[in-house]
Amino acid sequence: MAKLEARGITKYFEHESHRLQALGGVNLKVESGDFVCLVGPSGCGKSTFLRIVAGLEKPDGGQILFDGRPVTETGPTRIMVFQEGALFPWLTVRDNVEFGLKVSGIPREKRAEVSERYLDMMQLTKFAGSYTHQLSTGMKQRVAIARALVMDPDVLLMDEPFAALDAQTKDLLLVETQLIWARTKKTIMFVTHNVAEAAVLGTKVAVFSNRPSVVKREIPNDFPRPRVPDDKDLIDFQHEILQELRPEVRKGGGAGASGASKDDADAEGTVAGEEEKKKKKKKKKGGTQ
Amino acid sequence: MSLSASPSSKKRSYAPHKIAFYIGLVAVWQLVAMSGVWPSNIFPSPYEVGEDLVYGALDGSLLHGFATSMWRLAVGLSISIAGGVALGIVMARREAFNQTVGSLVLGLQSIPSIAWVPLGILWFGLTDAGIIFVIAIGAVFAVTINTYTGVKNIQPHYIEAARNMGATGGRLITDVLIPAAFPYMISGFKQGWAFAWRGVIGAELLFSYLGLGYMLYVGRSLNDISQIIAVMLVIMATGLAVDAVLFKKLELKVMSRWGLR
Ligand SMILES: Nc1ncnc2c1ncn2[C@@H]1O[C@H](COP(=O)(O)OP(=O)(O)OP(=O)(O)O)[C@@H](O)[C@H]1O
Ligand SMILES: [Mg+2]
Repeated sequence: MAKLEARGITKYFEHESHRLQALGGVNLKVESGDFVCLVGPSGCGKSTFLRIVAGLEKPDGGQILFDGRPVTETGPTRIMVFQEGALFPWLTVRDNVEFGLKVSGIPREKRAEVSERYLDMMQLTKFAGSYTHQLSTGMKQRVAIARALVMDPDVLLMDEPFAALDAQTKDLLLVETQLIWARTKKTIMFVTHNVAEAAVLGTKVAVFSNRPSVVKREIPNDFPRPRVPDDKDLIDFQHEILQELRPEVRKGGGAGASGASKDDADAEGTVAGEEEKKKKKKKKKGGTQ
Repeated sequence: MSLSASPSSKKRSYAPHKIAFYIGLVAVWQLVAMSGVWPSNIFPSPYEVGEDLVYGALDGSLLHGFATSMWRLAVGLSISIAGGVALGIVMARREAFNQTVGSLVLGLQSIPSIAWVPLGILWFGLTDAGIIFVIAIGAVFAVTINTYTGVKNIQPHYIEAARNMGATGGRLITDVLIPAAFPYMISGFKQGWAFAWRGVIGAELLFSYLGLGYMLYVGRSLNDISQIIAVMLVIMATGLAVDAVLFKKLELKVMSRWGLR
């Protein structure tokens, strides 16, 4: 039985002038221990899908099965790592990492013991007493990952967690993420814009089509690990992903479709527009909480 | 501190200016009083006021008045903080509540504390409870509105992350909503305190029943202007101290934690 299965997930959003179908029936099976990378054109609904898997948003149709049982509520079996980290600025790094343990009623000594382990794993011990604004973006994402791991979730959901990082920090975290995955045997779903990132990380890459999006193709990836981002052998694999992706990006008329070099694997051109969109989205959500 | 604008000295110190200003002010006051334009029972000299302050301090009457007012204020303000935070959170989280109760809160907030005095007297009599009622109701809506704004402005991701990690109900409120909205809530406490402080003095003036406000009333009845001024100085000093020490410290602490300064 699959650890996690999406069956015909559909999702509509109401906009001022029209109704937009973001997800057009997404089907995806994720086995225990899989590391699935989700790629797709900007705005196709990857974040929405991940939020539905996390139970943070309700689908309009379809089901999420977790260990074969339908789930609708959010909970610590599927923990989300947000792009901006969503760390709590009123807590120290240690208290952030212990947050989930605290709300589930774990006693203080036990919490300290667990958080110590993960702070150490993410090389954050020195910053345990710092507040989050005192950290670099890369360290913030380490804290976000540590905070997710202490919950010992069955599935880790990561929504472009490294999109805001500089290249060196990103490369380092790409290696570390593979090590964490190998060590913890977690099932991971990882959304990314970056084809190279998907090629390095995943045991499988799921390519989303343009809106209303479905999983267009799943490409298994059994290259030996550890993989590094500039692995020559992975270039062909990246091209294979791109081949699937490019027509979708074009259909959407996204800015990311310009140029056909390896650069648009990064689709950096779409990032700025996307930030704008996210901000707008946030405002909207703020009003409907 | 040197006067040259070196990068390390961010702020020039105006302490000498301040000291000189206040010495000058008291000197002018003394001169006017000594000039004999007004009789000293109408315009007492700073010396006489100082004398009253010292007597008041020595016989314990000022301290007693101060303590009485502060105790009423503390009880009243605690009630308005507890009530205001609760109301504000429910308003921010339940739109139906916001549209109904919230609209009423906006209206009630425009009523000055002192306007509640007649109701306070009729409902509770000339008792501490009446004064506390006036303080609490005068301050509660400022706390409510600031809490509401604070909770509304919480980044949705914070709430989602917390729910995702299993925080629900009371846990979500104590561990996320309140700390996340706290920077706004401090403004609410500050406004609440200001309303409550004005409210307690005003109510005591009208209730004629112990406290600093009552001492103002007595001063007026006895035509004792220097006592009135002495009490006013205590009121002013307390207001300054609470603002500059208590709230400033709290604000600085929260701001530096969040990295907002
Ligand atoms: N709360 C919302 N209200 C209205 N529309 C929304 C909302 N959330 C998402 N959408 C719309 O749904 C579509 C999918 O959004 P989503 O953020 O899931 O895309 P994405 O694939 O994650 O995009 P990106 O790659 O840019 O992050 C977008 O067109 C977006 O405008
Ligand atoms: Mg997204």
